[in-house]
Amino acid sequence: MHIEIDEISKIFGATAALHPVSLAIPSGALVALLGPSGSGKTTLLRILGGLEYPSAGRVLFDGADATALTVQERRAGFVFQSYALFRHMTVFENIAYGLRARPRATRPPKAEITRRVTRLLDMIQLPDIGARYPSQLSGGQRQRVALARALAIEPRMMLLDEPFGALDAKVRKELRQGLRDIHDTTGLTTVFVTHDQEEAMELADLVVVMSMGRIEQVGKPQDIRARPATPFVKEFITA
Amino acid sequence: MARPLIHRSPMPGLGLSLGITMTMLSLIVLLPIGALLLKGAHFGLAGIWETVNRERVWAALYLSFRLSLFAAMFNLVFGVILAWVLVRYRFPGRRIMDAAVDLPFALPTAVAGIALTALYAPNGAFGQLAAEVGWRIAYTQWGILIALIFVGLPFVTRTVQPVIEEIEREVEEASATLGASRLHTIRHVILPMLTPAALTGFALALARAVGEYGSVIFIAGNIPMLTEIAPLLIVIRLEEFNYDAAAAIGIAMLLISFAMLLVINLIQIWSRRRIGHV
Amino acid sequence: MSDAALTRFRPATEETAFARRTLILSAVLGLGILVFAPLIVVFVEALRDGALAAVQSLGNPDAAAAIRLTLTIAAISVPLNAAFGIAAAWFITKFDFRGKAFLITLIDLPFSVSPVVAGLCIVLMFGANTALGGWLVAQGYPIVFALPGIILATMFVTFPFVARELIPVMIEQGRAEEEAALTLGAGGWRTFWTVTLPNIRWALMYGVLLCNARAMGEFGAVAVVSGKIRGQTATMPTTIEMLYQEYLAVAAFSLAAVLTLLALVTLLLKTALEVRHADQLAATHGR
Repeated sequence: MHIEIDEISKIFGATAALHPVSLAIPSGALVALLGPSGSGKTTLLRILGGLEYPSAGRVLFDGADATALTVQERRAGFVFQSYALFRHMTVFENIAYGLRARPRATRPPKAEITRRVTRLLDMIQLPDIGARYPSQLSGGQRQRVALARALAIEPRMMLLDEPFGALDAKVRKELRQGLRDIHDTTGLTTVFVTHDQEEAMELADLVVVMSMGRIEQVGKPQDIRARPATPFVKEFITA
Repeated sequence: MARPLIHRSPMPGLGLSLGITMTMLSLIVLLPIGALLLKGAHFGLAGIWETVNRERVWAALYLSFRLSLFAAMFNLVFGVILAWVLVRYRFPGRRIMDAAVDLPFALPTAVAGIALTALYAPNGAFGQLAAEVGWRIAYTQWGILIALIFVGLPFVTRTVQPVIEEIEREVEEASATLGASRLHTIRHVILPMLTPAALTGFALALARAVGEYGSVIFIAGNIPMLTEIAPLLIVIRLEEFNYDAAAAIGIAMLLISFAMLLVINLIQIWSRRRIGHV
Repeated sequence: MSDAALTRFRPATEETAFARRTLILSAVLGLGILVFAPLIVVFVEALRDGALAAVQSLGNPDAAAAIRLTLTIAAISVPLNAAFGIAAAWFITKFDFRGKAFLITLIDLPFSVSPVVAGLCIVLMFGANTALGGWLVAQGYPIVFALPGIILATMFVTFPFVARELIPVMIEQGRAEEEAALTLGAGGWRTFWTVTLPNIRWALMYGVLLCNARAMGEFGAVAVVSGKIRGQTATMPTTIEMLYQEYLAVAAFSLAAVLTLLALVTLLLKTALEVRHADQLAATHGR
C-alpha cells in the first residue's frame, strides 16, 4: 500500500512536535523514521496509525484521503514500544484478539481463527507458547507476540514504535533479522521508528532522518551515508 | 539449620517493640476473641447449634447476609463507575466528590443511621417522593439495603481507583488498532484488569455490611423475622443477660466474617498468580 | 483538513461524549443521593428550630456529659493505639522473622469483626459474672458498664488503624537510615526520635486522624459494653440514639451535627495530607 504524507503538522499546546512535513512511502517498502528523542518521529507514526490527529495536512493511503479514518478503520498493525500485550490473556488470546473483536458479520469462524493463530505462532518461531501469559515470557518473546498480534488482523501496513528499544544487544540482532524476514514474507509496507542509526541503516530500504519536527533527509541508507544533506545528518550518521 | 524464629539483628528495640506488640495484641484483641470462643466451647457445639438453629436466628442471619450481598453488588457496579469517573474525567467538583467518597468511613454510624432515617421516613425528603409511588423505604428491608449501601460505598471505589490509574494507555490504544470498538475494549480489556481489585472491594463491602449495626437499627424497624438484623439479635440477648445465646450467635457471625476474610485472601492470591500483580 | 473530520476524531482511549456525560451524571447523582443528602439532612434537622435552639441543646447536662466522655475516650484510646501502631510497625518492619503475614492478619482482625461482636467479646471477658470480671468489680475496678470497658471496646475496633498506615510506609523507607544512625553512634531511642519519627510523621498523623474519627464515632461496640448510663457511660453516639428515641430530634441532630463537623474536618485534613504528602502515605499506594 502506497502511503503519502501531505504537509502534516502537529502542535501540542504551544510546541510544534511536527512542522509541516511531506513524505511519499512506496508500496511494500521497509522505512525507518530515524532521529533523536523530540524529533517528532513517534508523533508522525501515531498520526499514520490514527492515534493522533494532525493539526493540519492529509494522509493518503493508495491515493485516497485517509485522514478522517478512525483507528479501527485504518487496519494498521501497530507494535508499541512497550508491546502493550494484554496481561490477563494468554498468548493465543492476544493474537486472536483482533479477529475476535470483529463484528459478527466479518468475524471468521473459530476453527479459522485457531488456524491463523497457529500459523502466526509458527511464523514468529514460537509454536509452543500459546497457553502462556505475557508475564511468563522474555522480552524478545513478547516483542514477537506483539508482532504476531498485529499481523493477525491482515493489516494494510505495519507501524512499529522502537520495536527493539527495550531489548539487550544480542536479542536485538536476532529480532532485526526476524523483522526483515517477516517484511519480505508479507510484502507489507512497514514503517518503524528508531533512534539507533545502525539499526535504521542495516534494516531499512528507505531512511527518513528527522530532527526537531522536520525531515532532514530521505533516501536509501548508502545514499545518506555518502551524501548527507544537512549538518545535522552529517553529525547524526556516524557509521 | 532451620531458619530461626527471629533473626538476630543490631537494630535496637526488639524486646520493647515485641513486648508492646504482643501484649497489646493479646489484651485488646486476642483474649477477648478467645473469651468468646471459650464461651462457645463451654456451651458446646450442640448447644450453639441448638441456639442458632431457631427460626428467628436463621431469619436474622439470612436477612443480614442477603441484604449485605445485594448492597455489595450495587456497590460493585456503582463503585467501578465512580472510580472510573473520578480517575479518567475532569469536571468541576471532582475533587469534592473524591473526598466525599470517604464520608461513610469518617461519619459515625449512629449519625448515618438517624440521617438516613430522616431522609427516607414517610415524612422525609426522599420518603415523601417514594410514598407518591406507593413505595415505603424506611422501616422496611429497603431501608436496611440503603443503609448497607451507604456503609459499603467507599470500598470498591477505593480499591479500584489505583488500578485504573495504572492502566497503560497503550494497551487501550493497542486494542483499538486491532479493530476493537471502544465498548469491546472496555468489556474485554479494561474490565478484566479491574476484576481482582473490584472483587476485593466487593468482599470488603460485604464483610462490613454483615456486621453493621449503628447505621441500620434506626431505619430498620427491627421487627423479628422481618427486619431484624443479626447484630441486633445479639444485643437483645445480651440485654436479657442470655450470654450463652449471644455468644452462640456471635460465634456464628465470627465464622461468617472469617470465611469472607479467607475469600478475600484467596482472590488476591489467584489474581497475583494470573496477572503478576493485583 | 475538514472541520467535520476534526470533530469526528476521538482518541482511542476515550469514550463518546454521550457515554462520558452519562457516566458523570450517574456518578454525581448517585453520590448526591447516597452521600450528600444524608450529610445535608443532619444540619437541616439540627437547625429546624433555629441555630440558637441547636446550640442550647448542646448545653443540656446529658449532651455535655456525653461530649466530655467521648473526648476522654478519644484522648486515652487514640494515643494508646498510636503507641501500639508504632511499636508493631517497628517490630514488623525492622526485623526479620517467620510469621509476619500471620501477625499482620491478626492485627487486621478487628476490621472483619462486627462491632457488636467486639463488644460482646469484652463483656464475655470482663463482665461482672465472669471470674476475671467479678474479681475486678470486687476490687473496685469494674470494666463493663464503666469507662475502662468503653476504652477497651473502642481500642478493639480502632486497633489496626495506625499500624496499617505505618507498616507499608516504613517498609518502603527501609532500614538504611536507621542503620546509618547506629553506625554513627546513635542509641536506639535517639535513632527513633531523630531519624524514624520525622520520616513517618505524616503517615502517623494520617493514621491517628482515622483512628480518632472512628474512636469518637464508635457506636455498636460501645452500646453493648457501656450500659449507656445517662451522664456516666453515655458517649456522644449512644446519647444521639437516646435523644432520638425520646423524640428529641433537634437535640439528637445537633449532637450529630457536631460529630458530622468532626467527620468533615477529618476528611479535609485527610485530603490535605494526601495532596501534600502523597509520597509518604500508605493510603496513596493502594488502599
